Amino acid sequence: MAKQLFEWDYSKYPGAKKYPNLFKPIQIGNLIVPNRIKYAATEDNLNDHQGFVTDADVAYIRSRAEGVVGGLCFMQGVYMDPVRKGQGYVGQAAAWDDKFVPGLKKLADAIHSEKAVAGFQLMDCGRVGSVEVPFGHGPSAVPQRLRIFRPMHEMTKAEIKEMVKQHVDAAKRGVEAGFDILEISGIVGYLISNFISSYTNRRTDEYGGDIRGRMRAVVEIIQEVKAAVGQDIPLGIRLCCMELLDDVRGNTPEESIETYKISEEAGIDYISVTAGWQESIVPVISRDVPMGSWLHLAKKAKQNVKVPVQMAYRLFVPELPDKAIAAGELDIWEICRSMIADPLMPKKVLEGRQEEIRHCVACNLCLARLFRDAPMTCYINPLCAHEHDPKYYPQPAAEDEKKIVMIAGAGPAGMECAYVAAQRGHEVHIYDKRELVGGTILEASQAPYGDDELMTCVNFQKTMCDKYGVQFHLGTEVTPELIQDEMPDVVVLATGPVYSKLEGAEPDDKLFVNVLDVLSGRVEVGKNVVVWGNRKPGIGVALDLAKKGKKVTIVGREKSAGFDVNPSFKWRYMIYLRQNGINAYNDCDIAEISDGVVMVKTYDGYLFPVPCDTVVITQREANDNLKDVVQGEGIQLFVIGDALVPRNLSSAVHDGYRIGLRI
Amino acid sequence: MSFNAEKEISKLWRNLHSAHDEIGKTYMRWRQVALDLAGPNADPLEVSLKAAERIGLDIGKSWLPRLNWTKGEDAWLMGLAQSYAAQWINQGAIVKLEKGEKPFEVFLKWERCPWPTYAKEYGVPMEEDVLCCDKILQSVLQDVNIFFNVNYNIETLKAIPRGQGVCLRKLYKVG
Repeated sequence: MAKQLFEWDYSKYPGAKKYPNLFKPIQIGNLIVPNRIKYAATEDNLNDHQGFVTDADVAYIRSRAEGVVGGLCFMQGVYMDPVRKGQGYVGQAAAWDDKFVPGLKKLADAIHSEKAVAGFQLMDCGRVGSVEVPFGHGPSAVPQRLRIFRPMHEMTKAEIKEMVKQHVDAAKRGVEAGFDILEISGIVGYLISNFISSYTNRRTDEYGGDIRGRMRAVVEIIQEVKAAVGQDIPLGIRLCCMELLDDVRGNTPEESIETYKISEEAGIDYISVTAGWQESIVPVISRDVPMGSWLHLAKKAKQNVKVPVQMAYRLFVPELPDKAIAAGELDIWEICRSMIADPLMPKKVLEGRQEEIRHCVACNLCLARLFRDAPMTCYINPLCAHEHDPKYYPQPAAEDEKKIVMIAGAGPAGMECAYVAAQRGHEVHIYDKRELVGGTILEASQAPYGDDELMTCVNFQKTMCDKYGVQFHLGTEVTPELIQDEMPDVVVLATGPVYSKLEGAEPDDKLFVNVLDVLSGRVEVGKNVVVWGNRKPGIGVALDLAKKGKKVTIVGREKSAGFDVNPSFKWRYMIYLRQNGINAYNDCDIAEISDGVVMVKTYDGYLFPVPCDTVVITQREANDNLKDVVQGEGIQLFVIGDALVPRNLSSAVHDGYRIGLRI
Repeated sequence: MSFNAEKEISKLWRNLHSAHDEIGKTYMRWRQVALDLAGPNADPLEVSLKAAERIGLDIGKSWLPRLNWTKGEDAWLMGLAQSYAAQWINQGAIVKLEKGEKPFEVFLKWERCPWPTYAKEYGVPMEEDVLCCDKILQSVLQDVNIFFNVNYNIETLKAIPRGQGVCLRKLYKVG
């Protein structure tokens, strides 16, 4: 008899009318889930390094459980072996002993407190595990191609049997802790995927050979876990539908689909469809991959199995999964990074507050942090991983401490600060010399490879500013006179950077143009362009111009181009620079410009000429303008974003949020 | 500012050759340190072959992210052969590739190599130079073979230190 854990009635909510397919129930095994939304298990590195659950992780999960409005909320995958070969992240939760059950119970209780369905994931990280021990384990000792991962030992048959038992024991602990649904993680290079892939499984015994042999360990886990926990606890599995490992002789797409059928035969209750491994050389989830690109895989899965099919992977807006469910191509919308960026994302969809969603910009900073043993953080959500800390929440200002705040600059730093301060009760006025909000993001979002998604951050901030009554003074530049006329209690300078001047460059020299003018199309450039500055703005404008047929060369002082881009995204830019024929001369300076040639000087003094009709200035410096005036008037001053130190969108947002809390 | 291309290139050229020279000399200095530490009873060839094995394994590992099977085995094999060539070219050698007549067979010809000169300068037997190169080349394949689930071998047919004018190696699929 199928059961539903919590009653939910979505009929009064606008989102349920707009996206009827997302807010209708579905049966998974013997469990009825009231909607089609799932927060997918996501590592956050927030737990104790011995595997015990922390208050930080409980608070993190509780906020996501609130977000799924009755749907599925999975805690991060647990490792299951005491030797810790299966541990892939320093802050990963463990379930190899009963001593972990009380902590796990806190997570299940937190999820239930929000009337959501609590999911428990079993995750031996296999080839990409053993973060705390010198050797990893896997079906075969296939060498690692990324040095960050440990050398591999081939598992004996006895070790495989033990691994299956560890899954069973951990599953029972999950159920004991109060979780309602279980999931096996078999993706991105974790142990289960290692068994399945022809790339990593070279065994000649019954656990290797053809796809049925390579699936044997998986089948044993499914069957033994099902037998141990009973039919009332559904069991799902996350499996690659496309490994994207053709360059290393991975599985064919046909073999991958076969793994779905075999799992279904073995008794699995749902399948979560994924694509790619951590070792894949094809981009899967970064911003340069258009949203919805992988939905065809879910459709293919639906055509081959009868159990419900779930999927995440660049489904950042509700329209996509709603349509896919309607078309019979998907059953459940999995959300991961979108709910790192905004834990309440689906709740806002339900309540008709879509404009208030802080959208993920698919930068993969969250992943980059995890791979460097750092706690989860989010590029654009300053509260992420601080959900347990009251200091990170806007607290109302005391009546006698409410202030009049003047913010110069309606870019991401200024607007973030503005709405947070206004939410706390301050009277906030935001000024910008331009008629539009967005600051330099207006131009930065013109760069190719998905940068248009950066505008979602600005749109969110504008909505929040309007919601909390921030007063906009667009087309009004903050001047010393304006400050002296208004005499606010606080001035926040969020004016953006100033652009560096090259030696010998005259202000009216047409050879030199500003990156913002180029990206916005306000100026024309020549055929041979040198971009001065090798950080993200330089890369963005270089790619934009190369796509328009210009011969572009980047010259910059940083030791590597894209120094300010996180490594999980930077590799994409390096490939795009190569593909677009852009040379980047790093650790270099411009020594001289004359007669259609820029003389580049390397850090150790070599000179070489580069043809050049136009130099695009992207090199930035802090903006000190107005500082003295504000301080001279005795007004409390804050400087944020690129005006403080030129960095990136993330720093602007985080600066703005923190100062918004402090005023 | 006047730009003198000849001056800039000659400066670079000099520094590149100095860097090449330092690579060879550093290896030879460390070889001597290893022999000093190993004591008088150590067999220099055994010590050098151990070092060659370590070098080869590490080089092989560094190639794993770059070798690519997507375009099939022929293209993959040429990629492997080019990686060998590039490794020695970067040290100052001239290496040419030629496809063999048999499938999955490539010949690599060293028309010039700095290593016999270093060996001579530091009193290392010429045969040790040949055997160490052999060991490096073969050790590279250890991880590459396992990683791509293939069985390739490389063998020396001619060697400059043996007075044969060129080093000629055959890289081929076994079986």
